Amino acid sequence: MQNPYIPAPVELIKVVTEVDTKDIKTFRFAFQNKEDETAFQYLPGQFAELSLFGKGESPIGIASSPTQPGYLEFTVQRAGVVTQALHDLEVGAVMGIRGPLGNSWPIDYLAGKNIVIVGGGFAFTTLRSLINYMIDEKNRSRFGKITVIYGARNPGLLIYKDELETWGKRDDINLNVTVDKGDAGWKGREGFVPTVCKEVAPSSENAVTVICGPPIMIRFTLPVFFELGFSKENIITSLEMRMKCGIGKCGRCNVGEKYVCKDGPVFSLAELDKLTKEY
Amino acid sequence: MEKRLIKKEALAGIVGELAGRMRVYAPMQAEDQVLFRILEAGEKPLTDFFNTKNAPKNFLFPRTEALMRFTRTGKGMVRSDEQQAAGDKQEQSLLFGVRPCDARSFALLDMLFDQEKYKDPYYIDKRAKTTVVAMACVHPPYTTCFCTSVGGNPTDSAGADILLTDLGEAYLAEFLTPKGEALLSAFGGSPAGEAEAKQKEALAAKAAAEIASRIPAKEVKPILDTHFEDSFWNTLHQKCLACGTCTYLCPTCHCFDISDEVKGSAGTRIRNWDSCMFPLFTKETSGHNPRPSQKERWRQRVMHKFRYYPDNFQAIACVGCGRCVMACPVNLDIRKVVTDIAKL
Repeated sequence: MQNPYIPAPVELIKVVTEVDTKDIKTFRFAFQNKEDETAFQYLPGQFAELSLFGKGESPIGIASSPTQPGYLEFTVQRAGVVTQALHDLEVGAVMGIRGPLGNSWPIDYLAGKNIVIVGGGFAFTTLRSLINYMIDEKNRSRFGKITVIYGARNPGLLIYKDELETWGKRDDINLNVTVDKGDAGWKGREGFVPTVCKEVAPSSENAVTVICGPPIMIRFTLPVFFELGFSKENIITSLEMRMKCGIGKCGRCNVGEKYVCKDGPVFSLAELDKLTKEY
Repeated sequence: MEKRLIKKEALAGIVGELAGRMRVYAPMQAEDQVLFRILEAGEKPLTDFFNTKNAPKNFLFPRTEALMRFTRTGKGMVRSDEQQAAGDKQEQSLLFGVRPCDARSFALLDMLFDQEKYKDPYYIDKRAKTTVVAMACVHPPYTTCFCTSVGGNPTDSAGADILLTDLGEAYLAEFLTPKGEALLSAFGGSPAGEAEAKQKEALAAKAAAEIASRIPAKEVKPILDTHFEDSFWNTLHQKCLACGTCTYLCPTCHCFDISDEVKGSAGTRIRNWDSCMFPLFTKETSGHNPRPSQKERWRQRVMHKFRYYPDNFQAIACVGCGRCVMACPVNLDIRKVVTDIAKL
C-alpha cells in the first residue's frame, strides 16, 4: 500500500528572492529519485506539503507548470516555523515534498474558452503555473484569448518580474500589471486591481475568470465581473485553510462537508455558494 | 457463519490463554474504572462489566503514533526508516470485550481511513491485524446509552469479527468474518443451532427496548442543512470550557495533528489526537481563524457528526455510547443538543 504521509526526497537547486522585503522567495527543487518524479503528475492549481524533517510541513501551491519538467517550484512567504526554516536553507539542501494534493484549476473546462487571470499580491503562484501551462507551445492553441491582470501594493512587491517582462513581449497575452502606488522608477500602471479590471473590461463571452488574491481584493473584484456578465460558474478561485494531512483525514480544513485539501482548493463561485461560509 | 456455545466460566480462561499467543487488549479493573489494557499470558479479563471509560479506538488509531523517523545529515534531516514500510510494525492482536457501540465505531472509522483514493496505512494495518471480539449488551449498561437512535443497537455486530451474546448459562459466539473464524479452534465450545438463535433474537429485542434514551439524530440532518446560520449556535457553547474531553473519549472522533520531535540528531514525525474544540485547531499562521470562537467550534462538532459525515459517508458519526455525556465537566449533553435542534 502506498503511504501518502511519506514525502519524496528532493534537493533544493535554486532560490530566487522575489521581493524587496526579501520575505518571499521562490524555491526550485529536483527529485532525488527518478521514480518519485515520474509519480508526481500534477496540474496547475494543485499544491504539495513541503516537508522539513524536524520542523514540520507546510501546504504550498505549486508555482511551476507541468510543462516545465525536471523540477518543481514553490513561492513561499516567510511566516511560521516551517517557512522560516525553508527560507534559511541553502542550495544543495535536501528535504521532502508530499503530493501533488488537491484538485486543480479545471483545465478541461477552461479549454476552448477565453481566460481572464486576476491575481493580487503573492497569491499569484498557482496562477503563474496556469499561465505558463496555457502559453506552452503544445497547449496554447487549446485556449482562447488570455488576459492577465496582476497587481501588488508597490513595484517592489511584484513577484516573477522577469517572467512578467517576457509575457509582456508576447502578442498572445494581454498582460496588465498594476501597483497600488508606484515609486520613482515605476513607469507602469497605477491603480487597484478591481479598478483595472473595470478598465480592461474583458468580455464575458465564452470566458472564464480565475481569481486569486487577498480577501479584500476579491470582495471588490467580484462585482466588476458580475457587471461584465460573468456567471458564478465562470468565476473560479482557490481557498486556503490550515492543513496537516492534506488527504482529508485530520479534520481541520473542511468548509461544510468539503475538505479544502482534497475536494479543493479550487472551487467555482457557484460551488462556494453551496458551502457554509466558514473560511 | 459459524456459531458456537461457550460455557460462561470458560470464556475468561480462553482469552487469558490467547494472551500467551498474541497481544490481547481486554477490559480490566483499574481502581474505580474499567480500562482496556494488554493482558499478561494467563491473566483473566473482565467479562462482566458495564463499559470501559475510554473508547478502544486507541488500539487502531493511537493517541500518539510515530509516522516516520529521520536523522541529521550534512545536507539536512532525512528519513531514516526507508527499509521499514513506515511507523511501528503492528503484531497480530485481539481486542476483547468491545461493546457493540464501540465496535460500530470501527466500521465508521473504516469509511474515513480506508477510502478509495487516500488510504491511511497506519490505521488499515492495525485494523487488518486486530480481531475484534464484541460483547453484546443484553442489558444496556447506562441510562445515557442511545445507540438505537444513531443506527446501532445493543446486540449489533457491525465492526466486530466475533460477537458474544450472554444467553444466561453460556455465551453464543458468532464468528462473523474470516478473521473471527481463524480463532474457532481457540474458542472451542459446542455447536449452536436454531434454538440459540431464537433465544438471542428475543434477548436482542428486549435489550433494544431497554434503551430509554432516544434522540431524533437522523431527523436533524435536513434541519442542520438549512440552519448553519441560526441564533441557536449563539448560546449553545457558552458554558463549554474547551477541554476537549468529549472528543478524546468519543469512539468516532478522528481529528489529529502532525508534529515533529527532535532529540539530538534524530527525530520522529508523530501524529497526536487533536480536537475541533481547541482554538488552535484551525488557526492559520497569518492569525486568521475561520472558527474564531467556541461557537463555531461547537457548531463544527455537531455538524460534523450529524450533517457532514452523513453527506460524505451516509452514516452518523456518533455511536450513542454516551461517554461525552457522562464525562463533560459542565454537563453539555449531545442528546439535548440534538433534541433542541429538532425543534428549530
